[in-house]
Amino acid sequence: MTAPLVFEEVPLNQRTRTAFTLALSAHQTVAVLGDEASGVDRLGGYVLGLEEPPAGRVLVFDTDLQSLSERDRLAFRRRVGYLPAGDGLLQNLTLRDNIALPLRFGSTASPREIDGRVNVMVAALRIGGVADRRPAQANEEECRRAALARAVAFDPSLLVLEQPFDGVTARVAAELLEVARGGETAEGARRAIFITGQEIPVVVQRRCDRLYRLTRAGSLELETV
Amino acid sequence: MARWLSLLGALARFSFGGARAAFRLPRAGQDVVARVTLNQVRFTAVHAIGLVVLLSGILSFLVISQAVRELGQIGATELIGTLIVVAIVRELGPLITALAIVGRSGTAIAAELATNTVMGEVRALEGMGIDPRQYLVLPRFIGAVASMFALLVLFDVVAITSGFAAAAYNDMTASRYAQIVLRSLSAHDVLLTVAKALALGLIIGILPSYFGLSVRRAATEVPVAVSRATVASIVGVFLCSALFVLLG
Repeated sequence: MTAPLVFEEVPLNQRTRTAFTLALSAHQTVAVLGDEASGVDRLGGYVLGLEEPPAGRVLVFDTDLQSLSERDRLAFRRRVGYLPAGDGLLQNLTLRDNIALPLRFGSTASPREIDGRVNVMVAALRIGGVADRRPAQANEEECRRAALARAVAFDPSLLVLEQPFDGVTARVAAELLEVARGGETAEGARRAIFITGQEIPVVVQRRCDRLYRLTRAGSLELETV
Repeated sequence: MARWLSLLGALARFSFGGARAAFRLPRAGQDVVARVTLNQVRFTAVHAIGLVVLLSGILSFLVISQAVRELGQIGATELIGTLIVVAIVRELGPLITALAIVGRSGTAIAAELATNTVMGEVRALEGMGIDPRQYLVLPRFIGAVASMFALLVLFDVVAITSGFAAAAYNDMTASRYAQIVLRSLSAHDVLLTVAKALALGLIIGILPSYFGLSVRRAATEVPVAVSRATVASIVGVFLCSALFVLLG
C-alpha cells in the first residue's frame, strides 16, 4: 500500500537548507514539533499545496499537488482533512454552519444529508450546546472541537493538524486525538494523522507512532515515544 | 504605467476566475451563496436607503428650486426637464449613489475580506478545498450589482419627486412639472441608467474584494488595503462615468 503522505528532500529551514525525507503510512499518527522559527508551521501548507516547498516535493496519495491545476488542487484537498493553526473558523457563521461549509461546497449531498452528517459530527465532538453560536461566542476548546469536526466532515483517510492542542487541557487533547483517529483497526488508527506544532501534551505523544523534533540545525530528529 | 497595466491584468484574471468559479457551485453551495448575497444586499442596499433618500432629496431640491427660479427669469423653465434628466438622473444619480455605496459598503467589504485573510480564514477555506472566490467574492459581487441597481432606481424616484416639491415651492403646477420631465425622459436615458448601474456595481463588487484579498498575514495591511480599495473604487467610478459620457 502506498504511503498517504511523503516528504521527499524538503528543506525545513531556509537558513540551513537541510532537507528531510519522511513517509507517513496509513493508520499511523506522526507528529513533527519545533520552535516557531523552525519552519514547522509551513509543513501543513506544503501538504495541502497552499505553499510550495523551496525544493524537493511532497506527495499526497502519490500526487504532487504542485503539479495540479488550481481547480484540481482545490478538489484534491477535499480528500485531506485540515485543521489549520488558530482554527480558521469563519467568524460570521455559527459553529454548525462552519462544520457544514466544506460539505456544502465540496459535495453533491442534499441539504438534508449534510444536516444529518453535521448532527453526527456535533454529537461526536460534544458541542451540541454551543453549535448554534458563532466562534466569538464560544470558548477556545469549543472552537477547536468545531474545527476538528469540520476537518473530518468528509471522513478523510489523511488528516493534517496544525497546532491542534494549543490552549486545551491534556484530557481534551487526548479526546480530540481519539476523534481524529476515527476509531481503531487491526493495523492502527483508521486515519493517518500528521500533526505539526511547537509542543503537544505527553498523553498525545504516547499515542503517536513517531515523534520528530526539529533540531537547531534544521534537521529532524526522531524522538523515542 | 506598467503598474497600472499589471493591476488591470490582475483584476481581469480575478474577475474571470470568479465568474468561472460561479458556474462550478454545487446545489448546497448555491444555497449558502444565496444566503450570504441576501445579507450583503441587506447591508449594502436596505441599510443605505435613508442615506440615498437624503442625498437624492436634498440634491434634487436644491438644483431644481435654483433652476426654476433662474430659468424662470429668462422664460426657459422648459429646461428643468432636461436638467433633471441629464444632470440628475443620468449623471449625478449614478455617481452619487456609487460613491455612497463605496463609502458605506466598499470599505466594509475590503476590511472584512482583509480581516478574513489575516485571521487565516481564507487559508482555511482553501485548505478545505473551497474556492474563496465562490464563498467570499461572488456574494459580495452579486450583492453590490443588485444593490447599486436598486439604490439608483430609488435615487431617481426620490430625485424626481423632490424636484416636483421644489417646483411646486416655486409656483409650478404638478401637471406642468410632469409634462416637462416626461417629455425630456427617453427610453435611451433609462437604458443608459441601467447600463451605468451594472457597470458601477461591477466596479464596487470587484475592486474592494480584490484589494481585501490581496493582503498577506499582517493586521497592519488591513487599513492599507481598505484605503487602496476606496481610492481605486472612487477613481474607477469616475472613469466609468466619463467613459459613458464619451460613448453616449
